[in-house]
Amino acid sequence: MTALIRKLSLSRRGFIAVVLAAALAHPLVAQRLLVPMDDGQQNHLKAYGLTYNAIKAGASAEWLLNYRGGSFLLADTPEIRRQAGLAGITIEPVDNGKLGSIRAEIASSNMEAVPLEKAPKIAVYRPPDELPWDDAVTLALNYAGIEYTSIYDDEVERGDLSKYDWLHLHHEDFTGQLNKFYLSYRDVPWFIDLLQKNTATAKRLGFSNMPALKKDVADKIRDFVQRGGFLFAMCGATETLELALAAKNVDIAQSFIDGTPMDPDADRKMDWSRTLAFRDAHLEQSPFVNSMSDIDGHQVNVPGRRQPLGTFTLFNFSAKFDPVNSMLVQDHRAVINDFFGVTTSFNKAVLKPGVSVLASEEGAPWVKYIHGDYGKGTWTYYGGHDPEDPQHSIGNPPTDLSLFKNSPGYRLILNNVLFPAAKKKPLKT
Amino acid sequence: MRSLRLRSSLALVVGVAVIALTGGRSLRAQAAAAGDSMSFYKALDLEAAGKYKEAAPLFRAALHTAAGVNALLGLERAYAELGQSDSLLAPLDTLIASNPGEETYRTVQLRTLQSLGRDADLRRAFDAWVRSAPQSSAPYRQYAQLLLQKNQAVAADSIVRLGEKALGTAKDMQLELAQARAAQGEWVESAKAWRDALKTADYLVQAAAYALAPTPSASRQQVREIFMAMPIDVSSRRALSELEMSWGSPGDGWNALKALPPDSLAADAWSEFAKRAESEDRWTLARQALESALRWKRTPELSLRAATAAVNAGDPGAALRLAPLSDAHGDSALIARSYLPLHARALAALGRPGEAERLLAAYDRFLTPGAHNTLVRTIAWGWVRTGDMTRARAALAATGAAGDSSDAAGWLALYEGNMKTARGLLRGGTESTPELALALGLIARFKADSAPAIGKAFLTLARGDSTLAAAQFVDAGNAIPAVRSLLLSTAARLYAATGNSARAVALWTRILDQDRDTPEAPQAELEWARFLRKQGDVTAATTHLEHLILTYPSSALVPQARRELELVKSAIPPSP
Repeated sequence: MTALIRKLSLSRRGFIAVVLAAALAHPLVAQRLLVPMDDGQQNHLKAYGLTYNAIKAGASAEWLLNYRGGSFLLADTPEIRRQAGLAGITIEPVDNGKLGSIRAEIASSNMEAVPLEKAPKIAVYRPPDELPWDDAVTLALNYAGIEYTSIYDDEVERGDLSKYDWLHLHHEDFTGQLNKFYLSYRDVPWFIDLLQKNTATAKRLGFSNMPALKKDVADKIRDFVQRGGFLFAMCGATETLELALAAKNVDIAQSFIDGTPMDPDADRKMDWSRTLAFRDAHLEQSPFVNSMSDIDGHQVNVPGRRQPLGTFTLFNFSAKFDPVNSMLVQDHRAVINDFFGVTTSFNKAVLKPGVSVLASEEGAPWVKYIHGDYGKGTWTYYGGHDPEDPQHSIGNPPTDLSLFKNSPGYRLILNNVLFPAAKKKPLKT
Repeated sequence: MRSLRLRSSLALVVGVAVIALTGGRSLRAQAAAAGDSMSFYKALDLEAAGKYKEAAPLFRAALHTAAGVNALLGLERAYAELGQSDSLLAPLDTLIASNPGEETYRTVQLRTLQSLGRDADLRRAFDAWVRSAPQSSAPYRQYAQLLLQKNQAVAADSIVRLGEKALGTAKDMQLELAQARAAQGEWVESAKAWRDALKTADYLVQAAAYALAPTPSASRQQVREIFMAMPIDVSSRRALSELEMSWGSPGDGWNALKALPPDSLAADAWSEFAKRAESEDRWTLARQALESALRWKRTPELSLRAATAAVNAGDPGAALRLAPLSDAHGDSALIARSYLPLHARALAALGRPGEAERLLAAYDRFLTPGAHNTLVRTIAWGWVRTGDMTRARAALAATGAAGDSSDAAGWLALYEGNMKTARGLLRGGTESTPELALALGLIARFKADSAPAIGKAFLTLARGDSTLAAAQFVDAGNAIPAVRSLLLSTAARLYAATGNSARAVALWTRILDQDRDTPEAPQAELEWARFLRKQGDVTAATTHLEHLILTYPSSALVPQARRELELVKSAIPPSP
C-alpha cells in the first residue's frame, strides 16, 4: 500500500505540473470540459476521481447540482482530457456559447453551480492488517484513483486526525466487542489474531481493555468533527460509534471481551447528549444475540428479527437553498436497491431532531442515509456494507468495481468524498 | 415429508387389507366399502380435473372409511385450492378424537393452523400432540419443520431442544437441528448435525449440500473437517463432494470421495461424481473417479467412459489401456460401434494412424458408410500429425465427396498452401478452436490463392513444434507483407507461450514500428503490457497500456486495456 501511495504521489506531482503548464502555455480548444453524470456517462465512479485530482492539481472545477445527474465542469486541459481518455470517462467540450446556455438553465431551475476549491485530505480509519471483508469506501477510492491515508488507533491516539479534512470509518465496532463475531468465529485464526492485536494495542496505549480504548477513539473522532472535520461512516461503524459515545460511563461490553457482563442497568445509564445522530436507543442485552441495539432496522444477523431488503429513495433538496444535502444525493438514479450490512438502516424513532434524512424506504420505519452538523463539522451515515453486493458475507471476495462503474449506490459514497471540496456558501434558509 | 408419505402409503395398504378381510362377512358391508372407495377415487379424478369444489364433499365423505388418511390429504389439498382451509379444522378435531395416535391427522392439523396464521392454536395443538404421544419425536419434528418454513429458525431450534430434553436424545431430529442451525448461520453446528443425520438417512445428501452451500469462505474449512472426520461415512463424503462442487472447488470434491473404501456404495458415488465432472468437461477428475469405480467393478460402460475421459484429458495412451478391445469379448458389432471410434481417435492422437487403418479394415463391414467416413477423417488427422500429407490426402479421397468437403480437407489445403480451397472449406467448418480462429482471420485478410510458407507454418504448429512454427510464421511474414503483422503477432504469441520472451518482445516492437496502423498493433501492445505486468514491471506496463488506450481509442481491445491498467494500479482487486 505504501508503495502504491508513493507511486500515486509521484503521478500527482506530474499531473500538477502538466496541468499548470497546459493552462499557461497551450491554447485550449474549448473553454471548459463538461463531465456529464446522467446516463450518458460511461464511468460515473472514475469521474469523481478525475474531478478530485483536477482540483488537487489546481484546476478550476464546479459541481453542477441537479444538472444532468450532478455533472462536473472542469478546466479544459490536455492532461484532464488524457486522464478522461485513459479511464473511459465521458467528457464534452463546452464553448462559451454553450456554457452560457447551461448557466441560464441552472439559474432558472432547481439547480446550482458550486465551485470546488480544495481537495480534502482523506483518512480511512482501518486496521493495518487485511480482514476477511472489504470496505466499500476504500474500494471506491482505489477505483476512482483518489489518494487516502490509512490510520488506526495509534495514529488517532497521538492526535493525527488533525492532519485530515475527511475521515471514513472502516467497519469498526467502537463498543470494542469486534461485532460480536466471537459468537461464530472465536476459533477462526483471523478472529483470534484480531482479538490479540486489539487487546495488545489497548494495553500498550494505557487502556484496561479494548472497549475502553475504542470509547476513547470514538471521543477523539467526535472531537475531530466538532473542530470542523467531515466524518463519513457506513455499516456497523455508524451504530457502534454512537453507542460508544453514549456509553462513556457505563459498561456495555459483554464478558467475552472484557471479562465482565454488561451493566444490567446500562440502557438507563446511556448518555445520549454525547452522540451525533441517535438518542434513546435500547441496547441488546443478550451476549448471544448478534445485534448491538435497536438503532438498526434490519437486524440482519438475528434470524427472528431480520427484515427483507427493499429499495430506498433519495430525497430531492433545493439545490440553491440546501446545497450540502443536494450534493450528498447527486445521482442518476433516485431509487436504489438496498443492501445489508451489520447495520443496514437506522430506525426513525431513534433519530435526533435536526438530523437530515437523505434517503429512506417508503413505508418502512427506518431510513438509509442521514447527515447532520456537529460543532463546526459534519457527519454522514450510510447504512449497509456494499451497495453492489447486497448479501455480502465474511470471506466473500471484494467487489470488482470495474464491473459496476455506473453504480448509483457507490456514487453516494463518492459524493461524500467530494462535497468537502465545495466552497462554503451561507444557507439561505 | 418422506416419513409422512410412507405413513400414508402404509395406511392405504392397511385399509385395503381391512376391506379384504371383511369381504366374506356381509355383502352389504362389502357394498358400502366399495361405495366409500368409489367416492375417494371419484374425488381424486375430480381433483385431477381441477374441480376442487366437487371433489371436496367426496373426500369428506370418505374421511371415516378405510381410505380416511388419504381422503384427509385430498381434502387438505382441495380446501387449500378453494381458500377454505379453515373448514378442515372441525373434521380434524373429530378424526383426532377418534384416533389420537395417528400422526398424519396431527401433522395436517399443525399444517392447517400454520397456513391460517393461528400461531397460538398451533402451539396448543403441538402441546396436545406431545401430551398424547410423550415418547414420540414426531410432534417436535413436524412443528420444527413448520417453524423453519416460516424462517423462524431460532424457535425451531428451541423446539428441537425441547424434544431432546423430553426424549433424552435428539437422534431422530438431526435433520431439523441441522436446518435450524444453517438458517441461523451457525454453519459449523449445522454441519455437525447434518453429519449425524446422514448416518441414517443417506437420501438427505442433496438436502445437506443445498443447506450448507451458502457457508461463507471463512467457515468452509471447519465444515470440511467435520465431513472428512473419521470414521469415513459415504453419505457425508458425498454431501461434501457436492458442496465442494457448488463452492467451485471440484478438485476438493474429488478429494472428499477418493479415499472411500471400495464397495458398491463408493463405486456409485464415484460414478455419480464422474457424471457431473463429464458434464462440466473436467476430464481429468472424471477419469480419476471412473478409474476408481473400475477398480471395484469392471463394466464395459465404465471402461468406455474412463477411456473417453482419458482421451479428452489428453492421455490417449491411457484410453487404449482402459478400454481394450478384449473387453468386447469378440463381439465385432460392439467393437465397431463403441470401441473402434475411441481407439481410432486415440491412435490418431498418438501418431499411429497405420494401426487405426488396420483396425478400420478389420471391422469395416460392421460400420455404416457415415461412421466409416467419420473414422477415415479421424485417421487422416493422424497422418497429418505424422506429417504424411500424401496419405492424409489419400485417406480423405477414399471417402469421396464427403471427405473432400470436410474440415480436415480444409486444413489439409491450408497446410499445403492452397489458400483458395482452404478458404472455401474452413469458412463452413464446424470446429471452434483457437487455431481455426487464427486461420480464418488469416484467410479473411489474405487474398492470394497460394501461400506455401504459411501452410508450412500451420502444419508445423499442428505437429506440436511451437518454436519451429513461430520461426516459420516469421519467415512467412517477411515474405508476405499483406499479412505480415498477423503472422508476426502469431509468432510472438507462440514465442511468449514457449518462454522465449526476448523474441516475443522483438516481434511486438517490430509490429509497433512497422505496422502501427494494423489491428495487430494494439494487440501486440496489450500482450506486451500483460507480459510486463506478469514480470512485475509496472511502469513499463502502464506506459504501454496508456499508449494503447490513447493511440487506438476505437480499438475493441481498449476495455481490456483499461482493465489491465486498473489491475496494474491496484484500482480493482485481482481476480481470484
